Amino acid sequence: MEPQQLAGSGDAPPKQVAQAMDRLGRAARLIAEIRLGADRILEALLVSNENPRLSEKAAELTLGEEDAMRRHFLDLRTVGKQLEDSGVLSGALRSRGNSWGLHMPLVCPDGAVVAYAWKRQLAGQAGASAVDRARLALKAFSDQKRRFFPQLEDDQLNRSNNDTIKFPPTKRPRLSHRPTQSPNIDSTEQKPMLADILKSIQTEAPGVTISTCQRLEWSKRAESLASTMNDSSLEQPKEQILSNLSGSFNEVAVIELVASGVFRVLVSLHPAGSTDPDAVAFFSPNEGGSYLHSRGMSVHHVFKHVTEYADKALQYFQSSDPNKALSHLLSWICSHQSLFTKNCSKCSKLLAMDKSLALLLPPVHRPYLLNSKDHDQDFATAYHIGCSSYDV
Amino acid sequence: MTVKWLMHFQPNQGTTLTSQVMAEACAVAESFPGVSRDGRWRSAMTFYRAVPRDQSLPAPSDLPRDLIGISLHDLPNEYLFVMRSQRLILRAHSSVQTVMDKLQSYKGRFFINFEGLQYKWGDFKLRIGKCLYNPNEALRGIVMEVEYLPLSSMDKSQRVMEEFYEIWREAVASKLLAGQFINTEVNFVEYGLGDSYTPQHTAVLYGMCVVQVIASSNKNQ
Repeated sequence: MEPQQLAGSGDAPPKQVAQAMDRLGRAARLIAEIRLGADRILEALLVSNENPRLSEKAAELTLGEEDAMRRHFLDLRTVGKQLEDSGVLSGALRSRGNSWGLHMPLVCPDGAVVAYAWKRQLAGQAGASAVDRARLALKAFSDQKRRFFPQLEDDQLNRSNNDTIKFPPTKRPRLSHRPTQSPNIDSTEQKPMLADILKSIQTEAPGVTISTCQRLEWSKRAESLASTMNDSSLEQPKEQILSNLSGSFNEVAVIELVASGVFRVLVSLHPAGSTDPDAVAFFSPNEGGSYLHSRGMSVHHVFKHVTEYADKALQYFQSSDPNKALSHLLSWICSHQSLFTKNCSKCSKLLAMDKSLALLLPPVHRPYLLNSKDHDQDFATAYHIGCSSYDV
Repeated sequence: MTVKWLMHFQPNQGTTLTSQVMAEACAVAESFPGVSRDGRWRSAMTFYRAVPRDQSLPAPSDLPRDLIGISLHDLPNEYLFVMRSQRLILRAHSSVQTVMDKLQSYKGRFFINFEGLQYKWGDFKLRIGKCLYNPNEALRGIVMEVEYLPLSSMDKSQRVMEEFYEIWREAVASKLLAGQFINTEVNFVEYGLGDSYTPQHTAVLYGMCVVQVIASSNKNQ
């Protein structure tokens, strides 16, 4: 183990930065050691399961690994404390006056380590690093899962023994025990096209304006919404119709639904151009800014609660009817046009005081359970949080 | 801009309005769970009257004789004028008051200040304030402004605001205040204002509300 270097706050900033980088490196190595240790323990368990004669040796190995892992965890805790004290994890030292223009390296919430805080501004770095990191993490976990828990193998994943893994097309929750619906795609049922889904939703809900765009286009549009909202002297401009119903839908990653004066909802598709929704968020029509995206959260309580409930609805639609998840989700979203006018189906009032949240809210829970005849689903009822009897 | 409703307190027949009522109204607001105080607020209103240049000539009939000027608490850089007879509203930069002083075509006849406490309650903002007649600081009335932050459409927020108004009235009645809050009803279409809420709507609301407050305070004196 390397000797502990005592870093006083009297040290010059360059030395502090160097020490911080060094500690971050050590932390990363410790984390890797821990991961390897977990691998070894799982392997030992597997071996002893397959080969009872080797179980004693496996037990010894496991105990040895356990000791090593414990030491690694203790070291990691020490390093973590040092990093925290030196302000790396919280960015606390960035505002210090005598930092010589240098900043402590910052560990950002998505795991990226940035040596100098201003580098974070460089285009694409943040997003790219988060996506890469997520991809690598998924690969590591999937490898581990495939190796040690093959009985949980998803039928659609490639069963060949090569090491490269196909990035699964969607995230599907493992609700494989539903008696009526199977998670396997029924090859006789064709997946509907995105354009058809949008057209049918548009006819079903004429009060809602639907538009689509690519992910990067959306972030520009979200920013422009912020500046439009600030200029309150103008009447709200007519929504720009970005949908290209005649053009190709291969790159579409964001669907925007706007019910004038009621809501703006963002649904993201993953992968782009598919009909698989992966996130949804509700906002007020007068909100704008870079936080407006399908994984963002509104500043208003009513929309925060509807978004939380929408997440559950999305998971339900994905697991019970993956082919039609997008159609169901969009229909369900459109039923919220009456969010501020429809009384609760239980207490018949519009506003109700939620005692636990200490807020006055309209009915924000609209049940999403599908009945077995899945057409003519109108999602017509609405409940206050306290009146809702569902526990989904 | 987000939707606002404006109410004023109408004291019961035979009772006079005192500062105690203001304290009681604030206590009602604070009795709701989850309400948090959010500072103070202040708006000011000036009643202008036209100053004829030449006393011998009759005043031109198309010029308004009276003008209301309002400076709103949430728009410190702006000043709004309401011409009730012509149903016109003008939005200007706050420096127009200096211009008015220099021009002397309209002179401020009397002044009303609104000041009080502001509360945040979930997606609602409440402002309860005294309506004070300048310069002697006589209490003319009590107003309450309710703002619903998620919505800007008057039409879509109508039911929400109505229900809030009912909840508020019930709470006030249960705390036995000597009077009730009356909502200011305005036909915005007459002023050429649309469904999307703007500061002009606020100006018109205050204009109408003050007229009712003054009428009710004159009746009770």
